[in-house]
Amino acid sequence: MRMVAQRWAGKWWAVALLLAAMLAARETHAQSLRLVVDETGRRVGVRAQVERIVSLAPNVTEILYALGVDSRLVGVSNYCDYPPAAKTKPQVGEIINPSLEKIVALKPDLVLATTAGNRRETVIALERLGVAVYGIAPGDIEGVFRSIQNISELLGVPEAGAKLEADLRAQFAAVAARVEGRARARVLFVLWLEPLMSVGRYTFIHDVLQRAGAESVTAERAEDWPRLSLEEVIRRNPDYLVLAHSPALEQQLADLRQRPAWQGLRALEKDHVIVLDETVLRPGPRIVEAVERLARALHPEAFEEQ
Amino acid sequence: MEAVLTRKRVLKVCALLLAVLLVLGVVAVSVGAVPIPLGRVLRALVGSTTALSVQDELIVFSIRLPRILLAMLVGAALGVAGAGYQALLRNPLADPYVLGVSGGAALGAIISLALAERVTVATPVAAFLGAALTIAVVYFLGQRGEQLSPYTLLLAGIITASFLSAVITFLMNFLSGRDLRGMAFWLMGDMSNPPPLDLLFWLFLLILGAILAVFMLANNLNLLLAGEPEALQLGVNVRRTKLIVYLAASLATGVAVSVSGAIGYVGLLVPHLVRLLFGSDYRLLVPASALVGAVVLLVADTLARTVIAPTELPVGAVTAVVGAPLFIYLLRRPRFAAAAGSKE
Repeated sequence: MRMVAQRWAGKWWAVALLLAAMLAARETHAQSLRLVVDETGRRVGVRAQVERIVSLAPNVTEILYALGVDSRLVGVSNYCDYPPAAKTKPQVGEIINPSLEKIVALKPDLVLATTAGNRRETVIALERLGVAVYGIAPGDIEGVFRSIQNISELLGVPEAGAKLEADLRAQFAAVAARVEGRARARVLFVLWLEPLMSVGRYTFIHDVLQRAGAESVTAERAEDWPRLSLEEVIRRNPDYLVLAHSPALEQQLADLRQRPAWQGLRALEKDHVIVLDETVLRPGPRIVEAVERLARALHPEAFEEQ
Repeated sequence: MEAVLTRKRVLKVCALLLAVLLVLGVVAVSVGAVPIPLGRVLRALVGSTTALSVQDELIVFSIRLPRILLAMLVGAALGVAGAGYQALLRNPLADPYVLGVSGGAALGAIISLALAERVTVATPVAAFLGAALTIAVVYFLGQRGEQLSPYTLLLAGIITASFLSAVITFLMNFLSGRDLRGMAFWLMGDMSNPPPLDLLFWLFLLILGAILAVFMLANNLNLLLAGEPEALQLGVNVRRTKLIVYLAASLATGVAVSVSGAIGYVGLLVPHLVRLLFGSDYRLLVPASALVGAVVLLVADTLARTVIAPTELPVGAVTAVVGAPLFIYLLRRPRFAAAAGSKE
């Protein structure tokens, strides 16, 4: 800008014209807010050019990296640890309670939040501060595709979104082809051990189980994260326990094996305990990896011949 | 031991506390997850429009200032509510939390979250209604014939609080994970999303009204502390005094809890601190409890948002961690029993 100004320095009228043009451009820029409805039904005014993004959750961060727009990512939550490069971005705090001032200081054009982690209060507070927040609400794996589409369109990279979706769909299809026609394994997904919590049928984890050739023994539960009594577990007697990895998990499992009530479970008798990594808890692009890993563990024979 | 309380002394102590509050307030505005130099904040506070960038201005005036004002208001409300309850019940353990008012507010909030998934304005309103309803129930249960018995009232409060917390635990099982997360945070006290300034102003008026109501009855409370029959003999309308103080203290609590969640120990500890520092005359105790409460919660909330920034702690955790040991220390002081306002 300064170079341009110097070149035209002799001709003040040209400078004036340029200034007028810049002002006009700024005006149209200010007006070029697109009014969109996010996945939670909120109306959001989003700039035509989104250059500075803050992501409030790991699955959102993973989608942004997968779309190749990470150079525009200026802030992430403390839990955004994948890909490893995400850990070098400025952090704005916990998913559940990020620092509003940290977010504002990063001057974001757009903050991306998810119902799978962030709080409504945070979104409302940011809205009040004049920060545009787009919320995604991926309820199942199709929902993840929708979120990828929506985000890619919002950021002006619809081709990247379409490509990512096609890639992921191909991977899902490959797994589906493997497990198709095989008897579904009866699985209890253990979201939390103490107290025992599982997943209801309207969760993306339920969808993961379905696509991996499993049948959730808690499929009839309508709540997202139902509490389960040990009696129910014993009555349903799942063939497999599936858990997401956590630091204390090994110890907790060892404790469980000592308890008489658990010892009788078919899954524990046969040592059918499948520990997945944290990707299964993140409705983002790597959810396909969780599906494939689970499918391999449940149906190893399906993956034998190439 | 205690100096004779003069109007001059009340004004002097209040002015001193107000000065402390203001200084701490300015310091609090300048600390946070995003470092902004104190000098610039000061210049912006006195009206300079160029001292801060657009973002910093937003941070100072729209994030920190409302939150600091909220902390002061809630602290003042809880401090006075605690002082009021303690005089009312002649019981050093009386406190909005013990009496179940906070539990009622929390229950109201949970019900609003369970029923109206999307309506957010409803949450503080429902919390206030819950508090108001609990006040009525506890007051009714605490009445024995014509008398409001301190011990029955305290017990009624404790039972109601424990009943409400059981109902809350029961209801939380039916909330989806997302609401539960918000709720758990709310139950521990959370001031990270303060209401807008115009709403804060109305809260200020309500809380100020409650404080003034208790303050006007300070003399009656002094006499009540000497014993009910004595107060009656001296011409105090005991029943009316108790009713007004109870309602005012509960209103203050309800309003406070409805915007900040359940914050413990402030209502319990602040009046004790004030007694140790300035004596137990309610003409000074009431305004001083308001100001010390404001100072205490301001400091606690500033710690909550800075110690592990950008991660924020729930302010209730800070007040409990600092408050519990302090309470034990106070309990073990020999002067405690006398200072706490039990029979001398």
